[in-house]
Amino acid sequence: MGTISLKNISKSFGSTQVLNNLNVDINDGEFLTLVGPSGCGKSTLLRIIAGLEQQTSGDVLIDNKNVNRVRASERDLAMVFQSYALYPHLTVRRNLETPLRLRDYNAFERLPLIGNFSPSKKEKTESINQLVNKTSETLKISELLDRKPGQLSGGQRQRVALGRAMVREPVAFLMDEPLSNLDAALRVHMRSELSELHNSLKTTFVYVTHDQAEALTMSSRMAVMIDGNLLQLDTPQEVYDNPSSLSVAQFVGSPKINIFKGTSDSSGTVSFLNVNLKRKSSESNTDLHIGIRPEHLEITNESNDNTFSGIVAYRENLGSDIFFHVNIEDGSNKIIVRGLPQFTHQISNGSSVNIKRVSDKALLFNQAGMRVQFTNA
Amino acid sequence: MEAKQYIGEGWKHAILIIGAIVVMLPFYMMVSMSLKSQQEIQSISGGLIGAQETQTFPVCVKTGYSEETCTMKPYQYNYWFAFEKAPIPRYLMNGVIVTLSIFIIQVLVALPCAYALAKLRFYGREFVFSMVLFCLLIPVHGIALPLYVMLAQAGLVDTYSALILPWTISVFGIFLMRQFFMTVPDELIDAARMDGMGEYAIVWKVMLPTAIPALLAFAIFSVVAHWNDYFWPRMVITGNRDLFTPPLGIREFRGGIDSDEFGPMMASIVTVTVPLIVAFIIAQKRFIEGITLTGMK
Amino acid sequence: MHNSKAHIWFIAPAIILMIIILIFPLFLAGGISFTDYNLGNKTFEWVGLENYDKMFNRKTYVKMIWATATYVIVVVPISVVLGLCAAMLLNSLRFGADIYKTIFFLPVMATLLAMAIAWEFTLHPTLGIVNSFLANGCGGVREFILGFHWLPWVDSQESWYAVACANNMDFPYWLKQKNTAIWTVCFIGIWQAFGFNMVLYLAGLTSIPRELYQAAEMDGAKSTWEQFKLVTWPMLGPTTLFVVTITTIRTFQVFDTIEILTKGGPSKTTYVMMYAIFEKAIQQNLTSIGAAITVVFIGFILVLTFFQRYVIEKRVHY
Repeated sequence: MGTISLKNISKSFGSTQVLNNLNVDINDGEFLTLVGPSGCGKSTLLRIIAGLEQQTSGDVLIDNKNVNRVRASERDLAMVFQSYALYPHLTVRRNLETPLRLRDYNAFERLPLIGNFSPSKKEKTESINQLVNKTSETLKISELLDRKPGQLSGGQRQRVALGRAMVREPVAFLMDEPLSNLDAALRVHMRSELSELHNSLKTTFVYVTHDQAEALTMSSRMAVMIDGNLLQLDTPQEVYDNPSSLSVAQFVGSPKINIFKGTSDSSGTVSFLNVNLKRKSSESNTDLHIGIRPEHLEITNESNDNTFSGIVAYRENLGSDIFFHVNIEDGSNKIIVRGLPQFTHQISNGSSVNIKRVSDKALLFNQAGMRVQFTNA
Repeated sequence: MEAKQYIGEGWKHAILIIGAIVVMLPFYMMVSMSLKSQQEIQSISGGLIGAQETQTFPVCVKTGYSEETCTMKPYQYNYWFAFEKAPIPRYLMNGVIVTLSIFIIQVLVALPCAYALAKLRFYGREFVFSMVLFCLLIPVHGIALPLYVMLAQAGLVDTYSALILPWTISVFGIFLMRQFFMTVPDELIDAARMDGMGEYAIVWKVMLPTAIPALLAFAIFSVVAHWNDYFWPRMVITGNRDLFTPPLGIREFRGGIDSDEFGPMMASIVTVTVPLIVAFIIAQKRFIEGITLTGMK
Repeated sequence: MHNSKAHIWFIAPAIILMIIILIFPLFLAGGISFTDYNLGNKTFEWVGLENYDKMFNRKTYVKMIWATATYVIVVVPISVVLGLCAAMLLNSLRFGADIYKTIFFLPVMATLLAMAIAWEFTLHPTLGIVNSFLANGCGGVREFILGFHWLPWVDSQESWYAVACANNMDFPYWLKQKNTAIWTVCFIGIWQAFGFNMVLYLAGLTSIPRELYQAAEMDGAKSTWEQFKLVTWPMLGPTTLFVVTITTIRTFQVFDTIEILTKGGPSKTTYVMMYAIFEKAIQQNLTSIGAAITVVFIGFILVLTFFQRYVIEKRVHY
């Protein structure tokens, strides 16, 4: 089992409110990502779950038991820290053993020398060894067991930190930006490894990151947090396709979503630049933000009432895709358009282009930044 | 939980306050004695500052001053008489002369050497550095005797030179400065060379200014050590009062415990001890940082 | 590279001074220790190991070794442990740590000689506040606490405190008594040294990453003691090694308090090596025996520092 429920969690440091009445239910075996820009309170929330920080108000429930008064060491959670926090003076083997020794041996057995006289110690030591060996095989760090953390590379340390968390089979894993100290290539690689690990362990993962790409790639559900508020909690695809607010839409997705200023008339018809949307807004007679993702725009030769024109300011070639940063003609906006290389390789900086919408997809937000639905599907 | 923490905090303060009282005990005794009259000291009465009754001091009269001059409050008397009996300003000045000369020469010798060891490549550099590392192991106090023999053969005992010479080389200073210079980027020196500076100019115009923090730490370390040093001056200054450093002055004031007046004696000891303590309290952050930096290497 | 010869001018003064002031005296001391040379003599003769023979066989020098060893063995561990405890206490305080830090560091800065005299008066049998504090406490709480009457096996009539009270306030003459002088000098040594160790430990403590403590907590180290064992103590390893070495070298060199307070007495119980060198070689002009003591002294220090380097390489490095 490994369900975690957060009920009305608030946290303030002095007069600054860092978490604002959050409610999250984490299911057993789920990979939940807490994602948001730095300073949004996601790490604080993770520490509150861990018990390293005390919430100002609200309840934390693990497996439906209230753990507000339970110390971190007794919550049976494991944590992987951003800096890995390995014990630098202990070998990898001892690092992996530590959580087991502290839990399995009693105080007497932990004493040096005389502790060995305890009859049950030998048995416990054996099982600890087995667990350590099993874990290190899973993580492919068996040959590193006798080294000290200082002699390992960043990626190896990362594995050891994972191993220390895994070895005692906790209720849930808490991970605080575990990949942020790795170089870019390794980070991408570790994403898939973590996902595989999660699939094989089937334990609850709570994963904190500021990188929306990590959240999108790995999680079963992601919780987008901004300024201490939980804005949306849903599957990655749902968050991407159906963001609940302008901030979420802008945070998730790379390159960023394009935002146009537009209006809806009395019938709910939405227009921006010289384009009218086919579907009607549920809010009429108001100013709106219209969000269109770069992949839903395309450079075209056509010029009609469904296109608008601009000048290419910068051409970002990623090989598989080219993203065009385009200044729109009336000077109101700078947008990003995706193009396929085979069709757009001849377009250079400074050229004037027409842009059309590829699909009907668009997201409406009102002046407060909240999502506005279309009336007809 | 909150209440428990406050109780814990209370216990810690209780222990620390007892410790602080024990640590402050001699300071209290010193200041208190320098303010009180002889009778109050002997009867252990009067608390910290005594009653401060104006009185005529017999020892003063015996020394040859008029009775009128000798009538004043105990604290005035103690400090006034301390300065009458011994050339305290002279001792303090000697302390300043010796510590400053030592520090300046140490820097003049150590800084270029540290620069060369850190930033120049030359044949034998490793050898020179290992020599520095070896010399780091030798405590100068430990080899005081052969040094004394050498100075005696050179006829330098009882001179300023004897006080200063053995300390002119600070291996520790070289080591500290070298470690510091290692962290200065090579680009800075190359830029200076491009600007047309010679190696001498680089040492004094580029490296010296960048080294100010380390130098300050070293200054505190050096000045404190030599201002307070008693062993070495005791070895090489045998009788010439004009060369007495503050600790030698203190020794002179002490005289015989049972014969002399304690008030003026403690007053002179306080006077000599105070400059460094005041400097420490004013700039304690720098002092503690300096000691930690020089301490941790 | 550049072909400047500047480096010669940069390193020459330092090298010459190192050789004259630090290295040559080592050989000089070694040389003199095998002769009967005394300062002022025109000639000398080689006497082989005679000086060393004296040192290890004459009672005075055996006592010297004992006094030095006692002083070092008492002062080093206690001042290091006190420094560590003080640092950890201060580190855990919510307020007021800076004041204590300043107070505890004062003895390090203050002229030791002056403070030794201040202690002499503080501990003076008739003028000192310590003995008057003890005398005023006869029959009261002070007697109960300091006489260890709270320990079950101490008879409240027989404790040192009760006996002193009964015998007309016969409290120890701390520095003048054979059985207390060395301990009193040790106490002053500890008083002077622990603030320095505390400051080094404070620096060491702040360099321990907080995440390590949190990791320990997550791993199940519940008590402060478990966390100390798992994180604090090992992480302070390099600091401890350094603190122990530097304190040992400093305590070996104790001189000021001895010269001003006991002159090695009573009956040589506080006759430490630096004082012996000073007394023999300078005051009694027995240069050769002083040189022999110097050689042994330097030997101790070198062995200690090499040991430290060795341990650093082997154990504490990570």
